[in-house]
Amino acid sequence: MSTTMTFTEPEERTALRKAVFDLGSSFGHDYYLAQARNGGHTDELWDAAGRLGYLGVAVPEQYGGGGGGIGDLSAVCEEFCAAGTPMLLMVVSPAICATVLSRFGTEEQRDHWLPGFATGQVRMAFAITEPDAGSNAHNITTTARRDGDGWVLNGQKVFISGVDEADAVLVVGRTTDARTGNLKPALYIVPTDSPGLEAKPIEMDLTSADKQFSLFFDDVRLPGNALVGSEDAAIAQLFAGLNPERIMGASFSLGIARLALDRATEYAKVRKIWDTPIGAHQGIAHPLAEIKVEIELAKLMTQKAAALYDSGDDMGAGEAANMAKYAAAEAAVRAVDQAVQTHGGNGLASEYGLGAMIAAARVGRIAPVSREMVLNFVAQHSLGLPKSY
Amino acid sequence: MTNIVVLVKQVPDTYSERKLTETDHTLDRESADAVLDEINERAVEEALKIKEAGEGEVTVLCVGPDRATDAIRKALSMGADKAVHVSDEALHGSDLVATSRVIAAAIGKLDSVDLVIAGNEASDGRGGAVPAVVAELLGLPQLTHAHHLAVEGSTVKVDRETADEGITHLEANLPALVSVTEKINEPRYPSFKGIMAAKKKPVETYTVADLGIDAGEVGLTNAWSAVQSASPKPPRQAGERVEDDGEGGTKIAEYLVGQKLV
Ligand SMILES: Cc1cc2nc3c(=O)[nH]c(=O)nc-3n(C[C@H](O)[C@H](O)[C@H](O)COP(=O)(O)OP(=O)(O)OC[C@H]3O[C@@H](n4cnc5c(N)ncnc54)[C@H](O)[C@@H]3O)c2cc1C
Repeated sequence: MSTTMTFTEPEERTALRKAVFDLGSSFGHDYYLAQARNGGHTDELWDAAGRLGYLGVAVPEQYGGGGGGIGDLSAVCEEFCAAGTPMLLMVVSPAICATVLSRFGTEEQRDHWLPGFATGQVRMAFAITEPDAGSNAHNITTTARRDGDGWVLNGQKVFISGVDEADAVLVVGRTTDARTGNLKPALYIVPTDSPGLEAKPIEMDLTSADKQFSLFFDDVRLPGNALVGSEDAAIAQLFAGLNPERIMGASFSLGIARLALDRATEYAKVRKIWDTPIGAHQGIAHPLAEIKVEIELAKLMTQKAAALYDSGDDMGAGEAANMAKYAAAEAAVRAVDQAVQTHGGNGLASEYGLGAMIAAARVGRIAPVSREMVLNFVAQHSLGLPKSY
Repeated sequence: MTNIVVLVKQVPDTYSERKLTETDHTLDRESADAVLDEINERAVEEALKIKEAGEGEVTVLCVGPDRATDAIRKALSMGADKAVHVSDEALHGSDLVATSRVIAAAIGKLDSVDLVIAGNEASDGRGGAVPAVVAELLGLPQLTHAHHLAVEGSTVKVDRETADEGITHLEANLPALVSVTEKINEPRYPSFKGIMAAKKKPVETYTVADLGIDAGEVGLTNAWSAVQSASPKPPRQAGERVEDDGEGGTKIAEYLVGQKLV
């Protein structure tokens, strides 16, 4: 018996990448930076991408989506980043929120939300992080208590992206277990205009068109159908959203890395200080070549993670998704740093937009899960080392 | 029901370095990324707009090597319904007269064509004569250099724009051939659904023999003209920089006069 493994993407995926990159490029990095620097958003691009079905590639066809998988969605995310037009909400809205709802939502929730995810007309933020519960999600204290048919939500979230652009927030909270009295996680859909919900922008040293917010829930009343799926499946639901989140995080970093490497390479080909372009000097060429290798490796792992996830292997995808996220973030940080270095003074001139990418690339090391927590995962699960916490 | 045929060509990406081969001075297809010519994207867009405004079917027709399937697929992903691909080793190096004959013969294979839309000129060869020659061979009215196109019943109306003559308003009965300029429209991006559907759309492939053309009438050795030599464009010289200290306008005018440009 012969078994063949293929390491190339299907023709359709390649065509999708090209189309997305072309659309992103027609807006371009300068457009993105101008929006970000003036406190604007990228609505025009988001809407265009939505109309073409690029944001809804992974939504099931019966809800008007593309019927593809996370592999398609992460390709879209990577290409927009590589074209200089990163959209952070892609990591949360279509990847986490739409996935959780399509896998675990009630029929009513799916009918209500998924058609909007298919066209990009619905945007949903995702809120898990709290001031005392970032890396340690077990510390979450945002709590929902039963109130007749509905719920009353109290608590606080921090660093939540894109709340001002979103129709609703998917909030990870806790509910009191009726039987044991213990707190257990539960996911709630909270419309952003809910009375009692306050969103305060956080000042960030990031040049991004998507902002971060602190959220305060003060007796926010929710209808009974705000709870996603069943109360008992919350852990499974959370995990269902984590792999796509990590795969998308990896793709986001990969796109940034490609953009930085492209800029550095183009510059190194034309900038002459002595007789030859600076790209001829190994001090410039080798780091760029190394970064190229690192990007390709991280991309391969991202594709593997997506392929495993799309084949239904949640467990197998977990390890690959974590490794991909780690490797892609490292490649992006290094690529941006080297792109700045290759440009000399221009590397920090606003016109070139590379300085703005330094902080953007660093995000990949912190969110959605920090590199240390990924390394903890690999140490414990892949290597079987003892746990320190 | 308007049956529209759009002529499409795969060309080297204008953003990459384009070269001729050393051996026979034909296009070096390996040296550059191959893409659907942008002017053809506009031609496809125009056909789709006509189809969407009423009823019709859009067929793309491509003469080119096997790998031109990528360009065909791009047109199908934009929304064209089917394709005809003429691919034959014998066609390598064909001149525009032979190419036009092949195109005309392939169009002849299709039944009831109402409208043929082409780009006014491909970005590689830049001969700009194929649309006119094809129209001539098929005995169709030719409405070239269109920057506006409208089908009304059994007539087609075109605003023709050229640098020398300005704008002329043309009208012809269908069937007819129209070639479009860059100003005609902004081509759409293929939607995800369009991309996924493209592979399932029918593509009919023909050799020159299938079209009843003798291999001896086409190809490099039968071309009416031959490229003797080719050399790359000399690198651009560094420009002259004018600092504007209030006299910038005058200095630019003096420079242009000095170059005999004004
Ligand atoms: C730009 C941006 C956007 C974000 N968007 C969202 C969003 O939309 N929704 C959302 O819910 N959250 C969001 N976050 C939050 C992000 O997920 C958290 O910042 C991240 O999970 C880290 O948590 P923390 O900030 O609380 O860091 P902490 O948990 O306080 O960690 C601090 C440091 O300690 C390290 N550390 C902690 N525990 C260990 C350990 N056991 N072993 C080794 N090292 C350890 C961490 O790796 C980190 O380096 C966003 C963050 C940023 C920066």
